[in-house]
Order: sequence, then structure tokens, then C-alpha cells
Amino acid sequence: MKHYFEKMTDFGGPLKKGQIKRGEENEARLKEVEKEIHKAVDDIRNGGFPDEKINARGEMTVWQRLACLVDPGTWCPLHTLYNPADNEEGTTNVIDGIGKISGKWAIIIGFDNKVMAGAWLAGQSENILRVTDLAKRLNIPIVWLVNCSGAKLSEQHKFYANRRGAGAPFYRHAALNQVGIPVLAAIFGTNPAGGGYQGISPTVLFAHEKCNIAVGGAGIVSGMAPKGGFDAASAEELIEKTRHFKSHPPGSVKIHYHETGFFRYVYEKEKEVLDGLREFMKEIPAYDPKFFRVSTPAEPKFPTNDIYKLLPFDQKSVYDFDEILARLVDASEQMEFRPGYGPEVYTGLCRVDGYLVACIGNRQGYLGKGYPEYADYPGIGGKLYRQGMIKMIEFVTLCGRDRIPIIWFQDTSGIDVGDTAEKAELLGLGQSLIYSIQGADIPQMLVVLRKGSAAAHYIMGGPQGNDTNAFTLGTAATEVYVMHGETAAVAMYSRRLVKEKDAGRPIESIIDKMNAISEDYKKFSRPKYCAQAGFVDEIVQMADLRKYMTAFAGAAYQSPKSICPFHQMALPRIIKG
Amino acid sequence: MNEELLAPLSGTIIQVDINVGDRVEEDDDAVLIEAMKMETRIYVPCAGVVKEIRKKVGDKVEEDDIIALIEKN
Repeated sequence: MKHYFEKMTDFGGPLKKGQIKRGEENEARLKEVEKEIHKAVDDIRNGGFPDEKINARGEMTVWQRLACLVDPGTWCPLHTLYNPADNEEGTTNVIDGIGKISGKWAIIIGFDNKVMAGAWLAGQSENILRVTDLAKRLNIPIVWLVNCSGAKLSEQHKFYANRRGAGAPFYRHAALNQVGIPVLAAIFGTNPAGGGYQGISPTVLFAHEKCNIAVGGAGIVSGMAPKGGFDAASAEELIEKTRHFKSHPPGSVKIHYHETGFFRYVYEKEKEVLDGLREFMKEIPAYDPKFFRVSTPAEPKFPTNDIYKLLPFDQKSVYDFDEILARLVDASEQMEFRPGYGPEVYTGLCRVDGYLVACIGNRQGYLGKGYPEYADYPGIGGKLYRQGMIKMIEFVTLCGRDRIPIIWFQDTSGIDVGDTAEKAELLGLGQSLIYSIQGADIPQMLVVLRKGSAAAHYIMGGPQGNDTNAFTLGTAATEVYVMHGETAAVAMYSRRLVKEKDAGRPIESIIDKMNAISEDYKKFSRPKYCAQAGFVDEIVQMADLRKYMTAFAGAAYQSPKSICPFHQMALPRIIKG
Repeated sequence: MNEELLAPLSGTIIQVDINVGDRVEEDDDAVLIEAMKMETRIYVPCAGVVKEIRKKVGDKVEEDDIIALIEKN
């Protein structure tokens, strides 16, 4: 099949003089937003105790542990700004991402021991559940850096209980083990109660000699009996007891290596724990890349940084999606599926790091006379019409058959609406695409290049596909909302405007409300909010998009659950004809 | 010889970036058309001098309408 894959069709071209000139202001605007994101990320990194304080105790910070553990240049952070419960700490207190350890892709997650000694905070379990979903979708190991002091007791009601509360990850670890996905844990520091279960629920435990994991902490052991309240007398009694209380946290290496054997390995130094993990990861089963690569990896012919000049910050401006894709895939080559049909979407096969991937993206701009064929109005890219949706259904279904991972690119204002669109079955076609995505059962990732809105955000490989979407990225131009804020304001207030006007009453206050809604939509749709709320898993720089695509492709092909031999694939032959 | 700058779609002209007599290069900004809530920028098709501009801001255009004429170098 090498004649299909080793050389595909060239696409894209170098930037023209005019594009370079007019792209400069655009690039500055995008980078301004990236700077804002970068600052927010820096705040997370620098949150909690300073590194020196942690190091003075003989401990590494989670960031230092990651730097030791992960192969240089492979780290793709996720959920850095994720803070769905709006914690005052600014974080869910776990740091995670995809990276290679000793040449093998893994999902890596660690407690931020600079912040409340790695305590459980609100929103953390949601973060962890996303990570376990990701590992399951990509079928690769999770590697934990456990250093968890247990619950932030003053806010336990926000995270302790509940279906998706702090205990849910333990069930998830069990579920991952049951489908053959190992959870490896390096354990540092004191890990009582919740921390204890974080330590015990993984598959293999690598312990630092000074760590401990236990059902309860030393503090709880000493004062378990509630007395109905506190008063001055009981406070004095407690002061006296606490002054004389000396206890070691239970569950040390003495117990869990020498007695129970829960710890499989123990190391004297923190770095040795990480080295031990790295050694172990060398032995994790994984296909050599040559098993699944269809060609030698190649960089795109055109610089990825061109995207800063190609992707307009102004949401109303049209652009050429193909030029952007040409800067993200190997050798700027592709095989387009059904060109000319459903022109509002690109569907085709590309290579990333030598692996075959399917790409789907919204094209922009006027779609030509007579399209959509079922309507007497013109079509514009960003919107979805009947042919585009049928094409995506066909393509996704065939990708499922051929076991080709999918990378989606969204910049969509939604699906065509109105009775004409309803007669064209667009409602049913949208759900049909979801059905195909779910049924394909292949790893998928999404880049929300600009707009992700209305039902189109869901159906085009959206993160709402919890089984299917491994992770979702946003960019400096990302906006995610059900509809444009001004459209929402019109939907909410147009009748009221008429009523007030007809009654001869002033309409200024309604205009103010409409502007307020519009402003709210701006506030709750922009990149930083999208990352904090979890609409996307990370806002990445344009220059890093290909790095994440490379991680996705490499991870997806590391240990796939099923295989379609190259010479038995249907899609390349259907494309060629 | 004159090159025609055509409207690639129907819409409303919302910005004109060229003037009669301007010396222009291929791919310079020429005109901005608003249609279906999006803005499509039209570029100068060839190097030359702007000979004639037939549309102004606010004008509605149909697909293939001639917006301007460029005298090719």
C-alpha cells in the first residue's frame, strides 16, 4: 500500500507578500491572548509554597518530578488552568498531561505538593476522571505522582461525596486495570485517608523511603470521638493532649514494604523513585512505531508559525482552512475524501509523525452558486449543510472500519436552520453523525481553532463524546458558546422590545440588558474561561498544535485495541477510485 | 490590458482599500464584502494601476459583478 501513503497529494503554498503584511497585526493580537494564557499558567506554576521551601525539606515539587520523569520535548500539558469550582487556590491541585517516559507514551498526573501538600480540592475528581477517560481512550498507562495530604477539610462538602466525587477515581483505577491498562504510582510524602487510597488504588507502587499511605492520618488516630461540640474546657483539654502528642504517620515503608508488601519497590532518594519508574516503563508493552507508521515522519513543508498570519483573530473574517492544515501534517500532503461534495467540510487522510490520521475541518467562505442544493439561499463555510453532514458520516464510519484515529478541527457557527433545513433532514443527520462517532470506537481529538458553537460543536467530534474524544484543545482565537451573544440577546429580548415600544415605554433599559447579555457571552466564551471551565482541555499556542497532534497519533498507535491491516483498508482505495 | 476585479459572492461592500490611480501589487487588499454575517476580503488580482472603481461602500453586489478595473503592468 506504499503507493497510497508514501507520497500523497501536495497542498498549501507559501504565504504571499500581502498575507505576510496583513497578517502581522493578526499575529500580534493572537500572541497577546497567548501571553495572557501564559501568565495564567505561570501563576499556577508559581502557586503555593516556593520551590525552595519544598526542596529544603528534601522533597521535589511536582514540576521538578515531571521534569525528571518525562522525556525532554514530549510534554503536552492538559488541564493546567482547569478550575471548574473556581477554587481560591486557582487550581484543582493536580497537574497532568501526555508525555513520553523512556520512549513510551503515558498519561502523567501528579498532586501539586506546593499547594496544601497536594490536598483534595473541589473539581479535582472531575480533572482526574478526564485523565482516566483519556488513558482509556488512548489505551496507554497512567503514571501517578502521588503526594496527597487528603481532603481540604473546610470544603469537604464540595468534593468528598457524590457520584463523581473524590472516591470515583478509585473505581476508575479498578476499571482501567480490568481492561488491561496499568496505573503506575510513584509515592512521596504523607498520604493519609484519601491520599492513602490514591496510593493503594494503582497497579504498581514505587515508594520513596520516607513516604506513607494509610487509611487515616496521625491526627485522626489521636482524637476520633465527637463530643457534641467544643467549649473552653474541651479546648484546654485538646491543647494539653496536642502538646504531648507524638505520633508518626501510619503506613510507612516499615509497614507497607516489609509487612504488607503493598510497595513493590522502595528507593532512598526521590530521583531514584522516578528513575525506577522510567526503568519500569521501558518494559511496558508497546508496538514499535514501525509497526503502524505508513511513511517516514516529515515536517510540514511550510512553517507552523504561519498559522498566526492565516487564522484571523476577527471571527467574521474568512480564511483558507486547507492552508492551516498544510502547516500541521507531514510533508503538507493529504488525500481528500469526496472533494467537491459537501464543500463546507474538509475530510481526508494525512500523516502525522508518519502515522495515518483522518482529518476533518470546517472550510470557510462562500460555497459557490447552487449550494446548498436543497435551498434557495447561499451557503457559507462554518455552517453545516446536508452534503457536508452526509460526507462526515460516511468518512467517520469508514475511519472506524479502517481503525484510523481522527483529528477534528472546528470553526463552526452551527447547522443550517429553518423548515428548508428540517426538510433536508439536518436534525437527523446531526444525530446520525454522533451515532457514527460513537460507533466508530476510535481515538479522536479536537482542536477548536476558532468558534465552537451550537449543535455543530457537539457533532463535530466534540468533548461531549466522553468515550470518543480523548482531549480537546483551544487556541487564542477560540470562542465556545451556544450562539453569538448578540443573537442570544435578540432571542431573549426582541419581543419585549416590541411590547415596550408599542406601550410607549422607554426601551433603554432593555437595550442595556441586551448589551449586558452580549458582554456576558464574551466573558464566558473566551479562551481563558474555556480552559478554566473545561470547555477545552488546554489552550495551546499555534506553534504547539502539531506537537499535541504528534502525541495523540503516537499514543493512539502505541497499543491500539484493534488493527486494520494497511492492505485491507477501504478509505485509501475509495479516495483513489 | 485591463484585469477585472470581480465580486466572488453576493453581498454588501463595507470597505474599499484602493483608489483610482493607485499603483497596486497582486494580493494587495482591494475590497471587503459582507455576506451571511461573514466578511470576505477580495484581493488585487495582478500588479498594475487602478483604472476604474465601479462600486462604493454600501453598494450591494451580485456574484461576478465587476467591482474595479486594474490596468496590468
